[in-house]
Amino acid sequence: MNKEKISYKKPLLETPFHKRTSEHCYANDWYRWAGYKVAKEYSSTELEYTSMRNTAGVIDITPMHKYEIKGKDAKKFINKLITKNITNIQSNQVAYGIWCNEDGMVIDDGTIFCLNENHYRIFCAERNLNWFCDTATGFNVTIEDISSSIAALAFQGPLSCKILNLLKVENIENLKPFHFDNYKLENQNVTISRTGFSGDLGYEIWCDPSQAIDVWDSLFKFNRDYKVLAAGMNSLEMVRIEAGFIQPNADFMSAEQALRPNRMRNPYELGLGWLVNLDKEYFTGKQALIRHKEKGPEKKLVGLDVEGDKPAVGSVLYDNSKKNIAKEIGIVTAAMWSPVLKSNIAIGFVNKEYYKLGSNVYAEIYHPEELDYRKIWAECKVVKKQFFNNPRRNAIPAFI
Amino acid sequence: MKKFDVIIIGGGHNGLVASSYLAKKGKKVLVIEKNEHVGGLAEYANSLSCISPIIKKELNINIPNIKDTDYIISLEDNQNHTILEDKNGKLSFVKTNADEDDQKTFLSIINNYKLFSKTLGSFMHQKPPRVKSGKRSDLFQLMSMGWKIRKLGKKNMRELLRVIGLNIADDLEDNLNNDNLKGLLSHESVLGSNLGPRSPGSILTLLYKQAINDNIFNLKKIEVTNYINQLEDCCKKNTVEIIKSSEVRKIVTKNNSVTGIQLNNNEVIESACVMSNADPKTTYLNLLGAEILDTDFIRRIKNFRNKGNVAKLELVLENEINIKNIDKKMYGKFIYAPNIKYIEHAFNANKYNHYSKNPCLEFYVNDNTLSANIYYVPYLINASHQENEIIEKCVAVLSKFIPDMNIRKQELITPNQMEEKYNISGGHWHHGDLEIDQLLMMRPFYGSSQYSTPVNGLYLCSAGTHPGGGLTGINGLNAAKKIVEDLK
Repeated sequence: MNKEKISYKKPLLETPFHKRTSEHCYANDWYRWAGYKVAKEYSSTELEYTSMRNTAGVIDITPMHKYEIKGKDAKKFINKLITKNITNIQSNQVAYGIWCNEDGMVIDDGTIFCLNENHYRIFCAERNLNWFCDTATGFNVTIEDISSSIAALAFQGPLSCKILNLLKVENIENLKPFHFDNYKLENQNVTISRTGFSGDLGYEIWCDPSQAIDVWDSLFKFNRDYKVLAAGMNSLEMVRIEAGFIQPNADFMSAEQALRPNRMRNPYELGLGWLVNLDKEYFTGKQALIRHKEKGPEKKLVGLDVEGDKPAVGSVLYDNSKKNIAKEIGIVTAAMWSPVLKSNIAIGFVNKEYYKLGSNVYAEIYHPEELDYRKIWAECKVVKKQFFNNPRRNAIPAFI
Repeated sequence: MKKFDVIIIGGGHNGLVASSYLAKKGKKVLVIEKNEHVGGLAEYANSLSCISPIIKKELNINIPNIKDTDYIISLEDNQNHTILEDKNGKLSFVKTNADEDDQKTFLSIINNYKLFSKTLGSFMHQKPPRVKSGKRSDLFQLMSMGWKIRKLGKKNMRELLRVIGLNIADDLEDNLNNDNLKGLLSHESVLGSNLGPRSPGSILTLLYKQAINDNIFNLKKIEVTNYINQLEDCCKKNTVEIIKSSEVRKIVTKNNSVTGIQLNNNEVIESACVMSNADPKTTYLNLLGAEILDTDFIRRIKNFRNKGNVAKLELVLENEINIKNIDKKMYGKFIYAPNIKYIEHAFNANKYNHYSKNPCLEFYVNDNTLSANIYYVPYLINASHQENEIIEKCVAVLSKFIPDMNIRKQELITPNQMEEKYNISGGHWHHGDLEIDQLLMMRPFYGSSQYSTPVNGLYLCSAGTHPGGGLTGINGLNAAKKIVEDLK
């Protein structure tokens, strides 16, 4: 029997950058993302994280799902899909949006790139083609999955603009946050958007898969002076927690994938109420969201400033400093020690009595210490999710 | 411009029942019918259905029974036909080659089914309860449904719960030997639905149809034209306005509430309450427009199974029709579905969107005309039928029993033509399959039950709602009652 035809023996796909990422990937530690393999860690997660916070890091984000929306009703379709109103979006602008199901529960979030009035691209973490196609019923649009025809890199860090500038990318410093444009990068035509997952200055570079290797190489051209590193998924996870960005199926279950109905979350519970525009004539979930807003969230995703230095990974949250009388009031969804903030941070759900900023809750941390757990009862303060938000992120012109 | 309390889209019999009831309650009602005459698909029905006694009482409709005794003839290739007699609902064998034991078992199976369908029948006339609504009335209704099933007694309740999800072939093969009898009952269970005798749930479909029609062989003959005329008169008496030959293009909404309708000539008629007698798919996707419906809801609309697979054949012969080996006195409903295997093979073609080369038939003769229901002739998407071939196959079957077939006139109406003529997407008799997931509170689908819709002021009253197809008129009546309740 032909071995190639056995599906479980078919290896994960390689991204157009694989030739380079595999060279860099000393740890040979791969992460499975939408049928592709991307590096979890190249050599040291902390080092990669440090490059993103101090110089710049390069992350292969090619596996991200990309959908092309074209047609007369493209804008109408997106306005029905997402909870935000994008009627006033201009060409070359990027919008961040979420989409909900009929019960007002969040399915996924994504960035929407407006190429022109009748042409958009949506980038998101989960597969959504089915949802988009069903939503498009009755609209004059075509929806195409273009995931494999665009290669993408995230180029994040305080020196990202400087390096692009050194690479003679013209006028890159004047690109506004949440905008994109076409540029020439070392003779390659690429699209660069000022978006990202790090809470700092950063760009995402979109190109044809055939240009991938050249684009990758050019970003490392000035490495003698500015140590740019390839960064893996683990370090990306660190910067996104610091920036307070949430991720479907990590911080909340996508409503399309949750099996238990009470695991779905509405935007108000996720702290994304600002993305919901209830004045808009129609979008999926509007009626339910009106009810959710009236009722107010039962629980809410908040930032937590945790006492001590042991990360509260997977901790249960309690209401009382005395362990024996404490009641469960929440759970931590992501936690880490933040090297740049020098603090112990976490993101988690807390019940409605506790989501006011400044409230105190308690986490029971199971800290592994040489084949044993130390149980720590740590006080946590409810704070804003955005732990790290550098003014560089939105400065125009960008920091060179 | 005139203003109406309620506009009803489609003058099918459910629309007429609803409009008369609403008008009787003092509402100003307008009915808009696409065709030149009202009645819709009712005229197509072979007319032996049963109108609910509630409707007759509410609207003073008087329909005389034409005959006391009806006959069902199950044809067989070897001309050893089985003839059953139905005398006011009492069945007996006139002629059969089944042995005595089989005859007895057959009648007892029918009695059993009758008992079960009577239990189901008690849910028919009410609006179905809504699950998880939190209302006490819904909870009470659910409990009373459970209680009615429990009241059957331990043995019968177990039997009902055993057969309710079963396929009819299994149950019949367990109990009967005679192929013709098995075929006869299987025929009744699969006709007009997308099932074969071996499809799970075919017994439920049979029980349900029996509950709607009050008769397993669906025999009570009525004059459909007479019924429709009476309904129309009833509407006129109650000052319902009926506009014929006029098609609705769109239901106009604002902020999730109905504001009126737009006709094909662009005229807009205002009303805060619109009731659609079109099938659910047409109502939601064509008249209302998917743009204002939630995506999950659109998914459910699209998944509503409404593919018709029965075609109607009208034949006029040169001379009077004589059926071999049968006394003229005993002419009634003829069925050609000789055994389970034959029907199942005919169904196989349907699964792959082909018509059956060896079709099953149900027909009635009157002097020199013959009107037949042929299955399976599936509804085709983006394709058309080889009509002549279908007719040829049918005539081949018929000529086994009718010696001189000189056809003067022939007409075939396929599900596709039905769709076009009556605006029923899928061309389905019942607007959608009568199967366990599309019944009661799940009819037509979750989020649209109890005749209401996600849009304020829009209601459904077609056969796509509970209790489904047939000429009961209950759909229209219940929907009208719901409107009266909501407008209070």
